[in-house]
Amino acid sequence: MNKMKLVFSQTLMISTAILFGIGLQGALAALFEQDSTIVWDWYIPFSIIMTGFLSALPSVLITGYENLKKTMIRFRIMLHIISIWGIVSLSGYIFGWYKDFKGWIGISVMYFFIYFFVWFGSWWLAKEDDKKINNALDEIRDDE
Amino acid sequence: MKVELQRVTSAADESALIRTVEVTENIQYAIDVLENNCRSLAVTRDNETLMVRTDKIYYAESVDKRSYVYTKENCYETKLRLYEMEEQLNTNFFRCSKALIVNIRKIKGVRSEINGRMTAELLNGEEIVISRSYVKDLKRKLGL
Repeated sequence: MNKMKLVFSQTLMISTAILFGIGLQGALAALFEQDSTIVWDWYIPFSIIMTGFLSALPSVLITGYENLKKTMIRFRIMLHIISIWGIVSLSGYIFGWYKDFKGWIGISVMYFFIYFFVWFGSWWLAKEDDKKINNALDEIRDDE
Repeated sequence: MKVELQRVTSAADESALIRTVEVTENIQYAIDVLENNCRSLAVTRDNETLMVRTDKIYYAESVDKRSYVYTKENCYETKLRLYEMEEQLNTNFFRCSKALIVNIRKIKGVRSEINGRMTAELLNGEEIVISRSYVKDLKRKLGL
């Protein structure tokens, strides 16, 4: 049940991140190229959700880093990054998100930006949690 | 010392007044018991049975079906299982992994790790791991 929840939440998060990336590209196009129109084929929204779902699967299979050595954790994180990059690239190729190498580079840059943004966000939230917990512990800690 | 007991109808009205010439070890123990619901646990060390005050316990651990209790400097064995200790120990204790119960008043600070777990440094410099699934319990216990 927890794994299903993880897949569902990751699907939503990744789909939203892809939409954010497309939105950003659209905004940049509107700003610099005076072209504010995005035309989508009927299958594009489904392709985004499908990619979100497929990209969520490595999180279930590869993450779960408890009781692992640091080198294994680093290896798994690298595997996670590369496998999702592969899924996004393949989905982009199948669904025609990019037409040439330049387009693939654009998709890849967007992917890495979103991936590290999510990592940074998670790290920042964890540090905020640490601060809150440590402040609460200050109130009740024994004097020794 | 003369002890007077007066019954009240609600828990909010409960209080204790100790009139003493000086705060002896026993008086301090009574204060600790009243303030922290502090009790003692029967433990063994070098075939000698001792009583350890629960407010002196840093953490309790289960290793190979044996249970151990750790204070600032000593380690004792106890016949109690971890779940039995969990029932006997007061609200300052919480389970931080499958095999460990820690006294939150003895935690100096916590820091999040990359694998979702937390490392807690205790007042005696020891470090213990708080499993990812138990971090929520810690936050709930601290009212966060």
